[in-house]
Amino acid sequence: MIKWVGAILIVIATTWVGFEAAKHLSERTRQIRQLKVALQSLEAEIMYGHTSLIVAAQNISKQTPKPLAWFFEQFAEKLLKGHTSVKVAWEESLQDIWKFTAFKQGEYEVLKQFGETLGQHDRISQQKHIKLTLTHLEREEADAIDRQTRYERMVRSLGVLTGVLLVILLM
Amino acid sequence: MKEIIEMLPESISNEIKKIHPASLQRIEEIRIRVMKRVEVTIVGNPVFLSYVVTYDDSMNLLNELSHYSIYTLEDELKKGYITVRGGHRVGLSGRVITENGRVKAIRDVTSFNIRIAKQKIGIADKYVPFLYEQRWLNTLIIGPPQTGKTTMLRDFARLISSGYKEIDSKKVGIIDERSEIAGCVKGVPQHQLGERVDVLDACPKAEGMMMMIRSMSPDVLVVDEIGTIEDADSVLEAVHAGVQLFVTVHGYKMSELRNRPSLKPLFDANVFDRYMELTRKEGPGTVQQILNKSGQQLLTERSVTT
Repeated sequence: MIKWVGAILIVIATTWVGFEAAKHLSERTRQIRQLKVALQSLEAEIMYGHTSLIVAAQNISKQTPKPLAWFFEQFAEKLLKGHTSVKVAWEESLQDIWKFTAFKQGEYEVLKQFGETLGQHDRISQQKHIKLTLTHLEREEADAIDRQTRYERMVRSLGVLTGVLLVILLM
Repeated sequence: MKEIIEMLPESISNEIKKIHPASLQRIEEIRIRVMKRVEVTIVGNPVFLSYVVTYDDSMNLLNELSHYSIYTLEDELKKGYITVRGGHRVGLSGRVITENGRVKAIRDVTSFNIRIAKQKIGIADKYVPFLYEQRWLNTLIIGPPQTGKTTMLRDFARLISSGYKEIDSKKVGIIDERSEIAGCVKGVPQHQLGERVDVLDACPKAEGMMMMIRSMSPDVLVVDEIGTIEDADSVLEAVHAGVQLFVTVHGYKMSELRNRPSLKPLFDANVFDRYMELTRKEGPGTVQQILNKSGQQLLTERSVTT
């Protein structure tokens, strides 16, 4: 009896791990998509709204879902406090929320580079930088989708099967 | 003064805080130049602080001025100045980029001139009897630069919009091309101007006067520094529309202005009822004389600085 309970527990645990890993893969594509939307609304705020970064970041944090919303919230807060630079505030907030996101190193580099140009130029070149960042993100997104389609189902079944294997071995 | 100190990079604001509080209140300008010492003008005299400004300081200051968004300053960088909270003006210079031969923007801003705006409430009070006869009279304030024309005009705007003794308040329309009269930040006047004031901020004068008359039905229009023929035409138009005017102009004497081609139509049509001549003789804001329509003196030589 106890044996069976243990066996079921093992299978449940490995299945869960498999599903978590798969979720991480799909989460990355979703978050990159959200980030793209956020950057597009930042572009609209800059180009047509003439809003300052602080207000723009506050607006975007209200529109985007969780881990990204925290990022823009942090960023606006740091700028409001003053005596810093956009680059530093952007990078610090990026590091603060990094562990809550599913992003990989590629996205980090792209975002970090973008932070260095933010707020330093006139509207037209600001728009160009946003466009450039968006194309970079598109590449990352394609990579993420590719990984997702290739590995998502595999990771999920791998979880279940490892559990079953363990059970058989231990039986 | 407080909002300016908050705005400056810490290294500079620390130095400024060391200045004696009594002098701090009398600062007229703070000049910040890259690789040079900070210059503070106190009652017309330059005082140099020991701190040498770095390039980073200038970047920080510009970031702070724009709320970290240089792209919001496009127009300001074209015109060369920014109006900040409190109505103070920050003049900028550096390397200019041009497009089709016209200034597009200032790129590497290396010099800042922070002009501290001081509103002198009450300096216009004693001239009211000369400029009011059942209605506010069309008035031209004449004076060379730095004689307190704008300060005087601002106080008149406040007086008219809030009323004075038995004189009722009137609707005032201000066309503030250089953001100096009202010192607007995002369209909100930073100076105390009374309740019944509408401001067209950063609007070209000639066009602005027409816009005001058409849409805002002001009783009195307040305009700074008219000079071109278009301005004069709009002034004429406004007078025909039955609006009273308070206007300033650069110059020394009314008699001299008569010969200026751009203003000639105004004198020919006898638009103004009163001419107020300012000098700097006893400090800015000295009223030399007030003349009536035909050039007779109503008041001579009196200082307004208290």
